[in-house]
This record gives sequence, C-alpha cells and structure tokens, in this order.
Amino acid sequence: MWDKLKDILLQVQKPARYVGGEYNLPDMDKPCKERVLLCFSDKYEVGMSNIGTRILYHMLNDMQDVVCERCYAPDLDMAGLLRKNNLPLFSIETKRDAKSFDLIGFSVQFELQFTNIVYMLDLMGVPYFASERGEEYPPIVAGGPCVVNPMPFAPFFDAVLIGEGEKNLKELTLLHYECKSQGLSKQEFLRRASSLDGVYVPSLHNSTKRAVVANLDEAYYPTKILVPNCDIVHDRSSIELFRGCANGCRFCQAGFYYRPIRERSVDTLVKQACELMDNTGYDELGLLSLSTGDYSGLKDLVDKIKVEADKRKVKVALPSLRLDSFEAEIYEEIQGASLTFAPEAGTQRLRDVINKNINEEDILSSLTTAMKYGVKNVKLYFIMGLPTETQEDLQGIVDIVHLIKRLHAQFGTSKLLNITVSTSIFIPKPLTPFQWERQISMQEMLDKQAFMREKLRMKNVKYSWHGAESSIIEAIFARGDKSLAKAIVKAYELGCVFDSWSENFDYGKWIQAFELSGVEYKKFLDGFDEDEELPWDIIDNGVTKSYLLKERHKAYEGVCTSNCLKKCNGCGANRLERCRI
Amino acid sequence: MIILKHYKVDDVSYVSHKDILRVLQRGLKRAGVDVKYSQGYVPHMLTYTSTPVPLGVQSVAEYFAVECNHIDKDEMLARYNLSMPKGMRAVASFYRDKNPNLAAIVSASDYEAASADVLPKEIEGITSCQSYVISTSKKGETVQKDIAPLIFALRVEGNRLVMRLASGNSNLRADSVVNHLNKNFGVNIKINDICRTAQLVGVKDKFVDVEELLK
Repeated sequence: MWDKLKDILLQVQKPARYVGGEYNLPDMDKPCKERVLLCFSDKYEVGMSNIGTRILYHMLNDMQDVVCERCYAPDLDMAGLLRKNNLPLFSIETKRDAKSFDLIGFSVQFELQFTNIVYMLDLMGVPYFASERGEEYPPIVAGGPCVVNPMPFAPFFDAVLIGEGEKNLKELTLLHYECKSQGLSKQEFLRRASSLDGVYVPSLHNSTKRAVVANLDEAYYPTKILVPNCDIVHDRSSIELFRGCANGCRFCQAGFYYRPIRERSVDTLVKQACELMDNTGYDELGLLSLSTGDYSGLKDLVDKIKVEADKRKVKVALPSLRLDSFEAEIYEEIQGASLTFAPEAGTQRLRDVINKNINEEDILSSLTTAMKYGVKNVKLYFIMGLPTETQEDLQGIVDIVHLIKRLHAQFGTSKLLNITVSTSIFIPKPLTPFQWERQISMQEMLDKQAFMREKLRMKNVKYSWHGAESSIIEAIFARGDKSLAKAIVKAYELGCVFDSWSENFDYGKWIQAFELSGVEYKKFLDGFDEDEELPWDIIDNGVTKSYLLKERHKAYEGVCTSNCLKKCNGCGANRLERCRI
Repeated sequence: MIILKHYKVDDVSYVSHKDILRVLQRGLKRAGVDVKYSQGYVPHMLTYTSTPVPLGVQSVAEYFAVECNHIDKDEMLARYNLSMPKGMRAVASFYRDKNPNLAAIVSASDYEAASADVLPKEIEGITSCQSYVISTSKKGETVQKDIAPLIFALRVEGNRLVMRLASGNSNLRADSVVNHLNKNFGVNIKINDICRTAQLVGVKDKFVDVEELLK
C-alpha cells in the first residue's frame, strides 16, 4: 500500500495531509486486540483542529490493548487518484485499508458534511447503508455534534453515539472487544450496545439517554497531543474550561445540548496548560468553552496562565467572550487590537425574545473601555430571520453601527475604527425552544440581506453574510428524518461533496437530488405543531421538551429567563448528571 | 550559533520546506532551547536553513543554524533528537561565531537514487553533451532548461544513480532530472527514493563537503 501511495502522493496538493508522522504520535506498534479507526468527514486541516476527536483519539490510544488511527476526507485530487489506482481509503498512521479495522467511528460535525460520509464510505469500498453491510464489514458508528438529530444520516450507521465520547465510545470499544473475543455476531454486539447510555442503534430504533461525563475535572484530557507538520485551521493548543452554558439563548443548540454545566478547576487547567505548552511547542494557547467569560475563576485562571505563558513566550487567546462578561481588567491583561461582540439582534425587544441578556448600555460601556485601550477593529455578529423579527429589528442593527461610529467620533482619536458586521441566517435547530418554528424562505433571506447591504454601505464598515441556499439545505438536514438518507446518496451521486466549502456547494444539484429520490423535503422547512412527534424525540438529550415549550411561550411574551448562575431554571439536564457551577 | 546536520527522511520528506521551518521552530520550543529572537516589532526566532530539497526527496544532509544562548552543541543535538517528529534526526552539531550563510555559499549537492531495476549505462551519456535541454515545470508552466552546465557528475552503479548537481543560486532540481530519465530512458525511479547525501561548497576549483568545512 505504502509503495503504491508513494507514486501518487507527489501528484496531490499538500501530501503532508496524508502521511501523518506528527510529533507526539502514540505507539502504533503496541500489542493490541482492538484497532479503531476514527474518521472525520472533512479535510485534515479542519479535522485536526477539532478538539473532540483529538480527545477521543488519545483516549483510545491510552487504553490498554487498543490502537486508534485516523482518517480524514481526502481532497478531490487524492480521491481521484485512489480510484484510478484502485486503492482503498487508508489510515494515516499505518496506511491500512480502512475497512480492515475492528471498529470504525465517524465524527459528524455539520449538516453540510453529510455527503462526505457517503463519499468516504464509497472510497472505503463498503455499501452505504448499514442494512446492506453484512457480518464481513466492521461496525461503523457515528458521533459528534450532529447527533442532536441523527435521523437523516442514521441509516448509514450501525450505531450512533449520543453525547460525550469519553463515556460511550470507551464503553462501546470495550464491549466490541468483548463480543469479538466471544465470537458473537455484529447483530448481537449492537443489541448489547443499545443498552449502554447514549447508544442509538438505528435498526432497533431504541430510545436512549445522552451520555455525559460526571466529573469534568477528572475526565480524560490529553496534554501530549499531536502537533501537525503542515498548516491547519486552528493551529494552537487548547484547554477546555467547562462544558455547557448558563445563558440559555433560545436560538442556540449548543447552549442546550452541552448541558449540564460542568467546570474544570483552575489548578487542573493551569497544570494542563503548562503540560500542553511544554509538550507541543505551540506559541498560542486557546481557552475553550461556549462562554469563556462565564467561567467562575476566569480572573484567577488568566492571571496564573499568563505568568506561565510569558515564561514560554506563548500568546493566550480568549475566544467567544460574551459582551456582558467582558471586563476591562481582563482586556488590559490580554491587550488585543480587535473586539468581537455578538448582540445577535438589533433591538432590545428581539433580544428579549431570544433571551440574549444584553442591552445597548452594556455594549456602549464595554466599547468605551475598549476604545480607551485603543481598539482598532470591532466585529459584530447578528442573526437574521429570528422569530417575530420585523423591519424595525433590522434597522436596529444599522442603528447600532451608527451609535458605535458616533461614540468613536466623540473620542476624538485620529485612529480609524474598522467595523465588520456579519449576519447569519436563523435556522430553527432541534433541542432549542425554537425547534417548532418554520425556516424563513429563500426570498425572505435575500430581501433581508439586500436591505443590510444597502444600509451598511458606509466608510470603514464591512458587511458579510451567510449563503441563503446553503442555509436552506442545512435547515432541512437539521430538522429532517430518516427519509432524507436516500437524498444524501442521490446528491452524492450527482456530484455533491464538501458542501460546507462554498466553492463546492451546488444548490441546483441538491434540489435535483430531492426530486429524483422522491423525498418530500419541504415539510422540514415548515413549522412543527407543538403536539406533533418530532423526528428526534426518541433521544433524550437532557433538556426536556416541556421546558423548551415553556421557553418558547416565554419568548413570544418577550419574557427573559435568567442566567442559570443566578438560579436553576429546571431545564431537566441535571437528570443526566448534576449541574456543577 | 549552533549548526545542526540532520536527516529529513520517511514521512517528513512529504512536508514542504515552509512547513518544515515551523516544525523546526516548534521543536526548539519543546526542547527548551533559549533561542534568540529578532528585535523587530514582531520578534521571530533567529534560525537559518540551507537550500531545501524538493518535496518528496529525502535527505541525510540538511543543515539548520540557530542563534541561541547557554547551550552546548552536544546538548543541543541530544535535545533536538528528543523534540522532533520521526524522520528528522540530527547527526552532527557544530559551533560557529558567525553565521556561515549556508544558503548562499552552497553550490552543489550530491544525490543518490535507487531503482528496483538495473539502470542503463546510456544515462551517463548526458554528461558528455555540450548542451542538454530538458523540459521542466516551473510554477505550473513547462519551461526548457539546459542542464548540461548544471550537472557536475552523473554515474550509474547497477540499480543506483549517483549525481552531483548545481544547488543554490543556480539550481538543478534532482526530481526534474529523474522525471526526465523516467520519461526518456524507460526507467522507473520514484522521487521518494532520491536522497540528498551531501551539500558542497566550491573552494578553489574543487568541491568541499559542508560538514568538512564546519568541522
């Protein structure tokens, strides 16, 4: 295999993506009884930037008798050469035929990556549908954030892991080894797997409860991580401060999905950060979580990490700070030249509807402080098409930009202030209070974008927006059911692949695929009735349907729900594990 | 300043020179070497490399120079070997007061390439030509290049090809030569089976191995 690969590696772009050999590579030659392949349905540079799969990769390799290898979606040039030379998809570490592994796991990150699953199964040379794969094929399972509603892609997999892989992937791997050594069939293995927490077996259509780790502070976190030899998207080491989010913004799937809230302690984080910096040599360290500003020991943590990072000439990056947690003292510590705000909606009324607890005063007072420290760039993020949105709310976005410009003018500095406004399109995602809403139509999206383009034609203001067509497809797959799997295969056959890369996305082909496969897709864009059974109802993700419904009604009344740090709102996620704040 | 002679073999031979620079700098950080930084607005590590090998070609004679404090050259070699990915191993280290600027003074490189089959002797005929034009690709375009003045030696020894080619300011890529041979002499040498074995500096009409020069 390796010999044949040598011939084609120099004919492809960035061959370093396919050869591995990264620093900190785990021992691939240790005695092993279970060989697992972790597949990522996007390119190496995207996959290697994903912390979740990196945790699982090192976790499996640290298990006795288990070796885990990786495989990323090869770029189109590589795929063409593999086909031409009759070579199967292979693992990066030992260049083994993918289908020769004992267990194969896919990480599904994004709705627009669904065709890539079929693409990779095709390159492996295995049938697309689990029902067509007999005992001669290893179990192929899926995990990742898209499992909130796994139905559209579930028919491709023998099992879908719901929740945190530190728990259910570990248990599944052990169970598979046990079943294999007892000579049990794949069917029997799946039957037993279905009783584990967070394992959904599509052929059995069993109900299951999301798996979560009880104590994040004691949970596995790798500090001897792979350091890629070529450029990747997020090329830095990261520590994860906490899981879950206390804010309860009603449009945000992650905010509900990752509950209950569990924090790591400052001491653990500082220890992990030091080990990571020493083991990787990265010159940047990221602090990860859904809302870093809400971390209880943030000041203490930043102080301690700064000392260690300075010693090693490492820069500390603080992403996704929420507006109201933005503190001057922290800003002074970090000294960035760019500031990012996500007010999400243009008026206070709409911000109350979506439960984004920020008001104009917060924005302005934060900005005033930031300007004192000489901020040069301000980035603003908004969502368009939110439930109850009116023209007034869109105008509100423009008003905020004017307000910032006026504030900057009052400061009397000669320095320019660049403002970047980005709008995305609201998609009513499962497991949010807005899951029953309809998706706004393509025409509405285009009209709203045209309005913003017109109004934001100002000096030093840049406006960028998210594609309307890809939002429609994303909405269908976020909200759909098992009938869509056929359409995914059809779209792939028509040439759709790497749909999340805008240069490859082809809306026309998608619509053609729906029509040719006879899949009724429009119904997933309409709203759902409150008493209707939703495709993802069989999976207990923690937060209860009744809580989401209550939140929906509060949204229409414009009533906010307080941050969970103030008081427990009873969302139900603590049925999985205790919420630790 | 410490100069390391190192290998770039196996998997890392597919890593581009631009990426290798970053790999080297991260490795130094992991090794805990106190590297000197430039004094500019955006400080960067003071490190220097010699002329890179083409992507896919292996090498057992790469050079890498580092401005650093408080470290013995043998200690540096030991730490380097613990901190680099597989395929990058240092084999010698040298101390120099001043940067010898290897990228500028190196004028030739020795290469060896192995083929599965015995290679035809006619290949050596290239060296007796006054002018020998091949087509190579440069930035995606095919260009004609007279390689006769850039080949200092070319021998066939059974299934091995041994070459000494111009390197540095006027440069002849080993992979261009091999691609030409594969196409026009019916041989099959894989690019990844080419290995640079030495870098040379022209001193008074003859070539001296950089390693000898640094000793």
